[in-house]
Amino acid sequence: MKTIYFSNILRWLKAHPSYYWKAPGIILLLVIASCSITIDSVVQPGSVNGGDILPVTLNVTIQTNQGQTSKFMVAVLVPKIWKASQNTTITFTSDITSGDQPMTVIPAGTPAPNGNGLDWPTYLVNKIGNGGNLLNDYEWVAFYSNAAYAIGGNVTVHATVSIKIKTSPDNLLFKLGYCVAESTDGLSDPQYYNSNFPGCFAVNGTGDLIDFCNPQLAVIDPRTSQDNDIITITFDGGVTMTLLNNAPQVYLCAKGYLTNGDSVSVCAQTTDTEMRNLGLNRWQKDLWPRGYFHLSDDQHLARLSYFFTDASGTVMVGYGGGSDPFTYTFKCQ
Amino acid sequence: MKQLFLAIILIAFAACKPERMAIPSEPMKDINGNWQIIKATRNGTDLTTRFKFTQFRIHFTDSTYTIDSLVPFIVSKSGRWAFDDPHYPFSLSFTATDSATKSSPLLYPVVGGQRNIIITFSPGCTSNAYQYTLQKVN
Repeated sequence: MKTIYFSNILRWLKAHPSYYWKAPGIILLLVIASCSITIDSVVQPGSVNGGDILPVTLNVTIQTNQGQTSKFMVAVLVPKIWKASQNTTITFTSDITSGDQPMTVIPAGTPAPNGNGLDWPTYLVNKIGNGGNLLNDYEWVAFYSNAAYAIGGNVTVHATVSIKIKTSPDNLLFKLGYCVAESTDGLSDPQYYNSNFPGCFAVNGTGDLIDFCNPQLAVIDPRTSQDNDIITITFDGGVTMTLLNNAPQVYLCAKGYLTNGDSVSVCAQTTDTEMRNLGLNRWQKDLWPRGYFHLSDDQHLARLSYFFTDASGTVMVGYGGGSDPFTYTFKCQ
Repeated sequence: MKQLFLAIILIAFAACKPERMAIPSEPMKDINGNWQIIKATRNGTDLTTRFKFTQFRIHFTDSTYTIDSLVPFIVSKSGRWAFDDPHYPFSLSFTATDSATKSSPLLYPVVGGQRNIIITFSPGCTSNAYQYTLQKVN
């Protein structure tokens, strides 16, 4: 939408030579004022049940200064566990089209316009961000309209975007995000795109709560793993006051539950269980569960329960700062 | 005079013979020896100094390998290894004893005068990608 008819400008400048020195400013003003796209409102439920379809409506306004032919782009920020690229349908209606207009997932690796070679999901993370989600297990999934649309200059178009995402059965809190743009200008300038993050959204599902919205006392990264992965356990004592506030050392006290029903504990306060001090009451430990619990070839972990302790082992902090352990289930998506 | 001219031409032709150019061949890549992990990432996060990789060793011979001080790796037992192409390898496969073959994309750069092997694999969930840079132990 930034195509400018320079011949007209030059003709006008010839007739008004005193404005030559102002020409760069005039051109810049015309480029900047040439187009806008905004999400006027997002209609989304506060929660759905696990496995249900999440219906979302975006009301979008596009204003043009010059004519352009482009595809319409809609992107959603979702938890990876939803596999939204396979489980989402997006259509839209508008003033200049008739009936539902289908949209299709932009294949991975497709460079975004003006994106320096980055594909849409990467470009969206770099430019728009993660919406404040605290667990690194989210993704932007971008869709193009199947057709390109010619829009004239000085036109205002209203579009209503219908998004339907099939959620996973998992119990989670997530800050959904939405972005609209077009295929010519991409995210090259804020006037050419708009994003919206309506806040924390809940799925009332099954299993441990996956909370992307609220700071957690304890987090395990990666969010999904098996016992042959290296996992990183972080204790963030800055989230709330705990008995380990300002402790000089913090140790991990963990119990592994095996798939055969047995369990094995590693709870002594040693250099093997001591956590790394990150400062500001934050502590971290990287461990390989199979090695940490000295498992034999035929032993496999199903889940973990764990506490954080002081050097004496008598002060223990569990879930929510209380006396119940934190839990983690080994599984892959 | 005519015969002399003819003789010169014959001698000149006889002096010419095709020169056989030796086409240089790419040598087979040699990874025999003991290798250690000098860099390790998980999903792009550098774990090198955060996890105890220092004891890990993998010893390659002509077609077999042995592992000491196991850490999460593409295989957990000793066995046989192979390149997809010994001259231009792009993949390194491991067949641990009593296990199926597992292959990793291979990079084989020389960094600071030292040959490195860079492999990528998932020892646990396939969504978790690990990249190890191996360097020969001197």
